[in-house]
Amino acid sequence: MADITLAPPTTTRKTGFKDFFAAIGRHRGLRHPKIRLALLILVPILVLTALAPVLPIQKPLETNLRAMMQVPSIEHPFGTDKMGRDILSRTLAGVQISLVVGFSVAMIALMSGMVLGTLAGFYGGMIDRAVMTVVDIFLAFPSLLLAIGLVSVMGTGLVPVILAISLADVPRFIRLQRSQVLSLRSRAFIDAARTINAPQSWLMTRHIVPNTIAPMLVAGSIAAANAILIEASLSFLGLGIMPPQPSLGNIVRDGQTYLEQAWWISTLPGVVILLIAVGLHFLSDGVRELLDPRSRQ
Amino acid sequence: MAEYATKKLAQMLITVLGVITLVFFTLRLIPGDAASAMAGDTLSGEALQRLREQMGLDEPLFAQYFGFLLDIATLNLGETITTRVPIAELILRAMPITLTIALGTIVLSVLISIPLGTLAAYMAHKGKRWLDNALTGTAMVVDLMPSFWTALVLLLIFSLALGWFPASGQLNWSNPGGVALRLALPIIVLSLSQVAMLARITRTAVLEVLNEDYVRTARSLGWSELRVLFRHALKNAALPVATIVGLSFGNLLGGTVIVEFIFTIPGLGNLLIAGINSRDYQLVQTLIVLYALIFVVINFATDLVYKALDPRVQF
Amino acid sequence: MNYQAPVRTTLLEVRDLRTEFQTPSGTVTAVDGVSFSVERGERVAVVGESGSGKSAMAMSILRLLAWPGRLAAGEVRLDGRDIARLSEGQLNAVRGRLVGTVFQDPMSSLDPVMRISKQMIEPIMRNLKLNRQEARDEAVKWLGKVGIPEPERRIEAFPFEMSGGMRQRVMIAMALSCQPRLVIADEPTTALDVTIQAQIVEVLKNLTAEAGAAMLFITHDLGLVARFAHKVAVMYAGRIVEFGRVEDIFARPAHPYTQSLLGTIPSTEMLKSERLPQIPGLPPDMRKPIVGCAFRERCGAAHDRCAVEPPVLSERGPDHSAACWTDKGLTDSISLKPKSSARTNKPFEPDGSVVVELNALWKQFNVSRKTTVRAVNGVNLRVHKGETLGIVGESGCGKSTVARLLLGLEKPTSGDIFISGLAQMVFQDPSASFNPKMRIGDIVAEPLVVKSRGAKLERDEAVRRLIGQVGLDASFIERYPHQLSGGQRQRVAVARALALNPSVVVADEPTSALDVSVRAQIINLLADLKHDLGISFVFISHDLLTVRYISDRIAVMYLGEVVEYGAAEEVFADPRHPYTKALIDAVPVPDPVIESRRSSVPLEGELPSPLNLPRGCAFASRCPIATDLCRAEKPTLPTHELSRQVACHYAV
Repeated sequence: MADITLAPPTTTRKTGFKDFFAAIGRHRGLRHPKIRLALLILVPILVLTALAPVLPIQKPLETNLRAMMQVPSIEHPFGTDKMGRDILSRTLAGVQISLVVGFSVAMIALMSGMVLGTLAGFYGGMIDRAVMTVVDIFLAFPSLLLAIGLVSVMGTGLVPVILAISLADVPRFIRLQRSQVLSLRSRAFIDAARTINAPQSWLMTRHIVPNTIAPMLVAGSIAAANAILIEASLSFLGLGIMPPQPSLGNIVRDGQTYLEQAWWISTLPGVVILLIAVGLHFLSDGVRELLDPRSRQ
Repeated sequence: MAEYATKKLAQMLITVLGVITLVFFTLRLIPGDAASAMAGDTLSGEALQRLREQMGLDEPLFAQYFGFLLDIATLNLGETITTRVPIAELILRAMPITLTIALGTIVLSVLISIPLGTLAAYMAHKGKRWLDNALTGTAMVVDLMPSFWTALVLLLIFSLALGWFPASGQLNWSNPGGVALRLALPIIVLSLSQVAMLARITRTAVLEVLNEDYVRTARSLGWSELRVLFRHALKNAALPVATIVGLSFGNLLGGTVIVEFIFTIPGLGNLLIAGINSRDYQLVQTLIVLYALIFVVINFATDLVYKALDPRVQF
Repeated sequence: MNYQAPVRTTLLEVRDLRTEFQTPSGTVTAVDGVSFSVERGERVAVVGESGSGKSAMAMSILRLLAWPGRLAAGEVRLDGRDIARLSEGQLNAVRGRLVGTVFQDPMSSLDPVMRISKQMIEPIMRNLKLNRQEARDEAVKWLGKVGIPEPERRIEAFPFEMSGGMRQRVMIAMALSCQPRLVIADEPTTALDVTIQAQIVEVLKNLTAEAGAAMLFITHDLGLVARFAHKVAVMYAGRIVEFGRVEDIFARPAHPYTQSLLGTIPSTEMLKSERLPQIPGLPPDMRKPIVGCAFRERCGAAHDRCAVEPPVLSERGPDHSAACWTDKGLTDSISLKPKSSARTNKPFEPDGSVVVELNALWKQFNVSRKTTVRAVNGVNLRVHKGETLGIVGESGCGKSTVARLLLGLEKPTSGDIFISGLAQMVFQDPSASFNPKMRIGDIVAEPLVVKSRGAKLERDEAVRRLIGQVGLDASFIERYPHQLSGGQRQRVAVARALALNPSVVVADEPTSALDVSVRAQIINLLADLKHDLGISFVFISHDLLTVRYISDRIAVMYLGEVVEYGAAEEVFADPRHPYTKALIDAVPVPDPVIESRRSSVPLEGELPSPLNLPRGCAFASRCPIATDLCRAEKPTLPTHELSRQVACHYAV
């Protein structure tokens, strides 16, 4: 027949996870201004954090009584605190904690959100009502306050902090996944599969879940940014990662007392938190725009 | 309308019951029990047992649960462990301060963000992307600044360096000017991220409306740009923006804890932190329930206002 | 109507209009050098497919284009003033006052949170310098004229309280209330059902004529053009390719595109054994520069010059011009008809075996605890082997619910469904019917995989065969749905439906999302398959001409009931139910001669709500011959055995 235009395929689509990383890795992805900016911010931070142990700077917990409260200099780019500890070194150690928290929370929230949201949206009925009732109760707590409440029960430290923030995030992911599943469930291609009596497991694994992964990953990178901010807030309030273990929040807290004498202790680690959050947001924005053909115009 | 409100109210009560239940059982998850966690290593066996009895921990679980419900329903909130002050009294003193900060932030940020967001949307609609990009880019960065950090930076500049606002001192309601000065910085700190977020939401909502067919209809009737913007775009965009204002109240409550802590303001947030630090679980659970309650009531109100304003909703 | 012959003075003159859209991939010239004029009181239709630039052109006239669209060059002279050079302020005095506009989608074109009164009265006050009360009276008067019942009360309604047809009437009242000299109507009836469309077109035609206003009517429907235009401009790829009086365009089309377009619409006399003429290929990609004539790749008469030089409009007769390098366009020797224009197979002969049987089928949807939508109310239908059953009716008549019940996608409230073999489906929206993450090959193979038919190699072989069967080549197997055009996707949908050798294929509006020039390709494909494979089809559509062409039998549905059933030709030639008659009358026929002879009294009223159906005949509220008997007692459809069944007390 004559109506075949043999235009070469312009893009290739892969499923889910591959989608997300393919979008970043592809040439087009690297040319996307937002993704570029995100990588420009995140890559140096990641590299510095990874290299921290071999960099020619003091160890994070090492004190130096001859160099207390020093203004930022070549030797101490972020200055030193009242015990002569190097703020840059402590900040990089804090970034490490932040990244662990951000990644863990995003993964936990993503996984449980996927499972529970898919079940609730796909099967509906009692399962849906039960899950959504619990979700509504959790969403009645402002997320920072829920995390504070949970930490007060579970205690401080890395694991409780991760669990507390995840618990506050999971309901949001369940909701997102459920709404995605609901809108996909009424699409015509599901009807087409139902006319051949495809089993439910087929519908779920072949048609529904693959189409929800990319938006969930986009939401996941925002959740990671939020988790980093909440961890920092908790640690700042003295409810998260406890000294002497450095975290971005508790470094800022340490400096609060000496704000007038040593402004750098509190302000510079804060800038790093901001940079990480901005980087992650640009990343998710850029990937979303790449994956969504409508916003490409 | 009344029927809808009743239905929503019932839903709200179920959520509140769920919140209380959740808080109650979470506290029972503490290893050992709340009394030993509270006491730490300070109390001997007998004294600990007395504390348990005082907290009602020796009763069966369900008796404790219904006792807790009854206490909340009758506002019999007990006393603090260390200072023996009635909790209800503490809350009554702290709540107005926290609510003033929260509502002040809402008012200030709505006043700033709506014109800003509308302007950005209008520019984007006209293809003047640079201004829109500048506004939305700035808004995103401001929105992501950790509020404790912003607070410290502003404190450093405006209180410590310039001395415009007091960083500490008593809050005396008989001196409104003093209160205003004292609460100004906390409100500004919280408003920054609130404005950033709301301006972005407003921009998106207005931009969406500007692309609607009925806006084109208004133009085709010869209405000027300004009139189209105010009569049609803002009016239609107001509904989604109002919902977000309600939802953002949760984040705002979280923010008040941080600014109260930094600016040493005796609101609910400082009460909460003090409670956690002294392991006063009675106080902590009451406060967490209270925060959730405020948030739920605000959302209920927003929902009703939304439904009342939108003529498309039928009752 | 006191129709006045148009006075021959020019009202609107468009010269070399160019409209551009700035996109990241470059500048798209949506309208490329369009010139035409409209006389006072004249009705000019602009016809074209999606992407032809017809709407962009109309919006450019009032400079209502949204960013990134831009009026790049040209003159738009209205009453001698060049609109393209007016300031925003001066322009606002023209919009609404001199030019009224009616848009396509009535559901979204009125402000949802404002009462009709507010939206109508203030423009009248401003434009006609009236006080509020006078303006209100004027608005009420216009609402009455456009056929809104109880206008004094309805003016205080919100748009959501009205049906689509009513909202479009409000739009027309708004456009006409400031006494404009020109009305621009941009696809004003596309979103409406055919009986409502007929009402709206009548209202527009009569009221503009009465007001002496000229009209520019943008549409893709050649039938509508024949119904009421004085002149026609045919647009293709951003240019006017033919312009002339409506009789000339339909009787003596000079441009190959116009000729082809007219050929692709199944006419009432056409035989089923004849294939529908079709235009090969797709419209050009407007993001790429066009060299020479944009239509040449789809044109049977194209020659060397067409590839180099874009043709310009040249005189073909009085008031008739076309942009083509050939003199007569396609002639009989270079026909647009495909080589094998007649089907070689023997025509359909029923052997009596029933493939699908629906017995006393009822379906109700509980919308809430109190309200129940009664979508299907006692439907009995049979489809024989190798037969195509067409189901026609307006939206809300239950035809799609019947399809979903038949496919097992919904459970009937009561009644039996018998299917010998398997039923498969081709959906309306080709963009939603595929999983975007699956390749075409996997999509077509899915039924085989789910049913575990054959080994991997056999399945691959089957996929290649199916893809070939629907006229695509093997390279499509590796592609993703979004890389295909609408017509190609619909072919893939057919291939998927055929994978399991179904006994019946249900096609729910399979062509309504496609452009006219692609539509004929899909209809031919379905008709060929029916002949070659002996599959039964259930073809659901609101497009009566297509249904008549493709179906052996037709069931006409109204409010969940079949009101008439019979052989396709018979039902069309001699409709017995008043609703069938009205439906057929409402369909515009692409022939101005026939149209001018037809009665122009459209069916009144709108579909009653399926929430509370009348006790008697469902159609009684709109029926011209209804009596008390009809309102009291429901007429029933006679038994299966009759070849012609009509549910009407007064059927002749």
